[in-house]
Amino acid sequence: MQAVVLRGNQDGYQIVLDQAASFKEIKETLRELLDNLAADSSTTNQISFDVLSNQRLLTAEQNQELEQLFSEYEHFQIHKVIPDVITIEDAIHLKEQDNVHLATQTIRNGQTLELKGDVLYLGLINEGGRLLTTGNIYVMGTVMGILQAGYPSGEDKVVIGDLHQAQQVRIGEQISIVETDQPVESSQTVAYVNDLHVLQYGQLSDLRTINPKIYHQMGG
Amino acid sequence: MGKSIVITSGKGGVGKTTSSANIGTALALMGKRVCLVDLDIGLRNLDVVLGLDNRIIFDIVDVVEGRAKLAQALVKDKRFDDLLYLLPAAQNTDKTALTEEQAKTIVDELKKEFDYVLIDCPAGIEQGFLNAIAGADAAIIVTTPEISAVRDADRVVGLLEKNPLKEESHLIINRIRSHMMADGEAMDIDEITHHLGVPLLGIVLDDDEVIATSNRGEPIVLDSNNPAGHGYRDIARRLEGETVPLMKIQQPKTGFWAKISHWFSRG
Repeated sequence: MQAVVLRGNQDGYQIVLDQAASFKEIKETLRELLDNLAADSSTTNQISFDVLSNQRLLTAEQNQELEQLFSEYEHFQIHKVIPDVITIEDAIHLKEQDNVHLATQTIRNGQTLELKGDVLYLGLINEGGRLLTTGNIYVMGTVMGILQAGYPSGEDKVVIGDLHQAQQVRIGEQISIVETDQPVESSQTVAYVNDLHVLQYGQLSDLRTINPKIYHQMGG
Repeated sequence: MGKSIVITSGKGGVGKTTSSANIGTALALMGKRVCLVDLDIGLRNLDVVLGLDNRIIFDIVDVVEGRAKLAQALVKDKRFDDLLYLLPAAQNTDKTALTEEQAKTIVDELKKEFDYVLIDCPAGIEQGFLNAIAGADAAIIVTTPEISAVRDADRVVGLLEKNPLKEESHLIINRIRSHMMADGEAMDIDEITHHLGVPLLGIVLDDDEVIATSNRGEPIVLDSNNPAGHGYRDIARRLEGETVPLMKIQQPKTGFWAKISHWFSRG
């Protein structure tokens, strides 16, 4: 296989980089290819290429070098570099964002449990304890402390469960003092932030209108 | 090798010092060799409750700073033939006079000599608390049936869970007023135990005599008929591994007519 292969399909042109070739080799072959293309084509239209790097992750510098190479040709540009792989760090990040975490431990007065993504909470949060997450919170345990969904600023998140014993419910930057707002004693309570940026309590049966995205995500 | 137990609560005034003095005395009455360590540096009063304040010559800070040997600083309680000793706190400095390592060294040293080393922890969760738990094998958390005490106890349980001791923590619910608990005005024992998720070691009823005897420097356990003293003796027996049923909280006595009307109101 050549270091660089040009392919065309209905979506446009793709340049496939051989993962076994060295980057230097790729650059040389690519220059040759682009030279030929520039000589052949009489078009004045801009052509955007998708660069498929297979199982190779280009560093920021390598990306820049490619960009520079393309910028030498008037009509050519890179649309997107698409690798087939991601770093483990990104993978963990993705997984955390996507996963529903199961948390069962007791959170006591003065303690904070900080998580990423959605949380299904089965434990006990005592008064003064805090559960913090970037995603949604689904509560089946007893909450007498503070729940914060969408930390630090995701107002599209919800908190679902029996919240009437909690001290506070927070979503993004909105805060509800439970004693003042008095959500009903029901495991079907949904706390959400409405269009006026006010934290409000609703019923699980209304989730479809409250937050269609989460409703569909849950397979409703 | 003995066992060191820290007696702590978070909140002040729930009876840590009284509990330390009484559990220690009860264990001594059972023939165990006990050393009480007062770590409430700057605000010592375990010596007063035990009636030993006049006999203090050296204190724990003197030991740490090399002015006295550990054995010299121990104050012997003459009522218990060579069984009960106190290592007093210093009065002229504060909690930072001691580090965690120093506290641990002293407790480890005492564990060689005694069956039980009971550490009286100061209120709060600062340096004094850290010093107190540094050398402890186990913790007894004292609370009262009040929301403020239970809330602080919860905080302390959380801190102890983060730095686990060798053995599991236990709970004492102190100053129970039977009539308030019967009326549902005070928090229920089961409710508190469940809330904190810590096994119950014992309960102690509130009694005027506890204060009266403390003022005379005599721990209440020395009075064999007192319900509070009874509670502390039960606790000491449970520490020794005996199975002792939980004391019944007696209902306040009702008159004859009240009982009769109670029967009729049942249906």
